[in-house]
Amino acid sequence: MTRTLKATGWIMIGLGVLILVFLGYQLVGTNFLTARSQDLAQQTIEDHFVAAQEEIEVVDTLPPPTVEPGTPEGPLPEDEPPVVHYSEPIPEAGLAFGVMTIPRIDTELVLFEGVDRATLKKGPGHMPWTALPGQPGNAVVSGHRTTYGAPFFDLDLLEPGDEISVETALGIHTYVVRDALIVAPTAVEVTDPKRGAWLTLTTCNPKFSARERLIISAELVDGPNFAYALAEKEFVPADAS
Amino acid sequence: MRRLFARLPGPLPVRVLIVFVALAAALVAFFFLFEWAGDLLDSGGVVGPGQ
Repeated sequence: MTRTLKATGWIMIGLGVLILVFLGYQLVGTNFLTARSQDLAQQTIEDHFVAAQEEIEVVDTLPPPTVEPGTPEGPLPEDEPPVVHYSEPIPEAGLAFGVMTIPRIDTELVLFEGVDRATLKKGPGHMPWTALPGQPGNAVVSGHRTTYGAPFFDLDLLEPGDEISVETALGIHTYVVRDALIVAPTAVEVTDPKRGAWLTLTTCNPKFSARERLIISAELVDGPNFAYALAEKEFVPADAS
Repeated sequence: MRRLFARLPGPLPVRVLIVFVALAAALVAFFFLFEWAGDLLDSGGVVGPGQ
């Protein structure tokens, strides 16, 4: 009896130590791995920008939008030149391709291409099947909330009107938060393409649980493709009835 | 521990090898357990059908 009790005690102590080691590793240890990846990526991101800038292309043009953003509605002069859609090369999987800055939560993060387990350990990752940040459509970026550097720990503090900027090889793209919502992890519709240019950030919710997802939806308000995204949003092809 | 080691089959080098393999297997299991349990805390925030 005493022997069984003693053995049970040792097993409980062992399990307790295992849980403490687990929490220490997840909540503290993983931060060092991500910090190292972010530091390395910060050093090489400029090289990526220089290389990718050589492959920037004009892929489309549209008539200019009829409404100047942020001003009372009214037509622009008729001799306004068409607006241009610039594309940049799709980054290789797992590589750093941009830097995201969120002033409200004092965060600057290198973004990586992909949302697989290994990539997200390095920092927030871009879903490859969605538009790139700065491009028309819906660019989706996912990131850890409480482990691996907790890049999106304070994402719940963002409010409509807050700015998010993303620098890519094409330039600096400025977004403004429009909406925040909580959805199920399977709510794949938040990644659907949208008219205009959007940035959707996704992370786990609540903190220390993967039960739900916190979604931040932000709209492009400035950047190389802003005028094009705005024109595309309101453009109706001539043959459409 | 010593008694357990003594009960392993084979000569000393084989027993050492068995212990080495068992430790490696335990480490791998430990790693996967941590990864799995880590996903319960924070899976990376990805939205999709497999989440």
